[in-house]
Amino acid sequence: MAAPDRLAFVCPRFAGEGAVGGAETLLKNLALHAAARGVAVDFLTTCAQSHYTWENTLPPGVKEMDGLTVRFFPVDDRDVGTFLRIQQSIDRGRPVSEAEELLWLRHGVNSAALLAHLDRHAAAYRAILLGPYLFGLTWFTALAHPERSLLVPCLHDEPFAKLACMKRLFAETAGCLFNAQAERELAGELFAYPDAKSRIVGMGLDPFAADPAAFAKRHGLTAPYVLYSGRREPLKGTPLICDYVHAFRERTGRDVKLVFTGSGTIDAPAALWPHILDAGFVSETEKHEAMAGAVAFIHPSVNESFGIVLLEAFLAGTPGLVHAKSRVLVSQCRAAGAGLWFRHYPDFETQLLYLLDNPEARAALGARGRDFVAREYAWPAIERKFFDALDALRPV
Amino acid sequence: MSATPVLSVGAPGYAVDRLVADLQATVDRKVRDGVYADARVARAEKTNLVHLRGSDDFLTFYLTCLRDAVFVDISDFEIRERRRFFGPLLVAFKQVVWKLLKFYTYRLWSQQNQVNGLVITALEGMEEQSAARIAALEKRLVELEKAAGHGRS
Repeated sequence: MAAPDRLAFVCPRFAGEGAVGGAETLLKNLALHAAARGVAVDFLTTCAQSHYTWENTLPPGVKEMDGLTVRFFPVDDRDVGTFLRIQQSIDRGRPVSEAEELLWLRHGVNSAALLAHLDRHAAAYRAILLGPYLFGLTWFTALAHPERSLLVPCLHDEPFAKLACMKRLFAETAGCLFNAQAERELAGELFAYPDAKSRIVGMGLDPFAADPAAFAKRHGLTAPYVLYSGRREPLKGTPLICDYVHAFRERTGRDVKLVFTGSGTIDAPAALWPHILDAGFVSETEKHEAMAGAVAFIHPSVNESFGIVLLEAFLAGTPGLVHAKSRVLVSQCRAAGAGLWFRHYPDFETQLLYLLDNPEARAALGARGRDFVAREYAWPAIERKFFDALDALRPV
Repeated sequence: MSATPVLSVGAPGYAVDRLVADLQATVDRKVRDGVYADARVARAEKTNLVHLRGSDDFLTFYLTCLRDAVFVDISDFEIRERRRFFGPLLVAFKQVVWKLLKFYTYRLWSQQNQVNGLVITALEGMEEQSAARIAALEKRLVELEKAAGHGRS
């Protein structure tokens, strides 16, 4: 018998246990806020921390963390070769059969133990909230209990979203909690997804005050800098930032530094290295200070469904510079009136020069961003949207 | 390269769309004027090309940048060493190795430059031909539509 105040969250990794990622952070925060409102929350996840190896590095078992019951299950053995072979075909837009799609899901990240746990206990949950959409774990779990599964898909316009198996996932599950209107529109285009089956929720952000001079002072930065925070990898567009900032420095002669926080390898031209500050993993406070002092927060990824770090930069009073191909990030910049979007290097150069040379405009954009996030993404508003979505999509 | 601010913003409620549109219009004009016909721009765009496939004007712009980038000069880079210890010594060693290998590398380099030049010329020719053919077809289409009466408002 389902309890109206019992929810399960399913995510391949648990944010904070050596893992960082937008979707993981989003699901964890929704779970935390649901728990804080008196809902019994089970967070079901795997023992993996690395999204490259999916190695079981955490012990399986149950932990009480921040008011959540977190259950860690081991990742199944997988044939990485098969997975990568099919993934490469999908990535390059080659046709793959339904059997290959299933193989790709099977040899992605999965946990038979987690599925077995839900086979025994699914009926006790009012809803199972799962994400992101493209993992085998999400797919098999959701389709094992479609009537009570609500996807938090973090959907991107990418080859994986165009697979037949994903059409089935979205069609058969009970509903979706999208992060932004642009994501909902994308689901409409890809799967003819009816608006009635979804709600826009997103994630709340707590306002903060950060000293704009603190980060530069701590790291001895005397020149203006632009910032990127998060995972550094080609899919996130980090090589593009390095190439652009390098060309910008060479062409304009302006001494602008490039600051990174987060994890991953930085692929940059050798001549740019003396002008890169890789702060690595930093505390939330230091990240916010880095954001507050930056000329602009650059988000070059085209595969975003929400853009948490962009919204954090807005909260820090810093304008965004985002890729024009990311409809979600562009829509956030447009809605907030706090960021510019570039199609190519010439746009980037012009817009960065504009921000460097117009501190008043920069401050005006930053102030709008702060007001927008404080207004639209305050936790009480997000909690209301979340529970309204539950009532609409999984009524008691 | 112009570093002059394009616009100034201050009015409350100023739409960011308008600002982006104004900045992009300026960029488009500068692209046409050849301000970005620069090998450095071509190199910077290498990871962005996949996102520009849908752009009508970009191929012409990119080919212009490429024209400057294809004739590479293999002597124009600085030999660096990121290891702190023995850095200058390692740089000197690499410079000697580089000089000793010049006899071989210059021959390859000059042949590669010739190939690059021929390829870019062929690509430019193909692009010009396609553009001319499409323009002629569009013109013909308009004439046919007018003749059929579809062009009347």
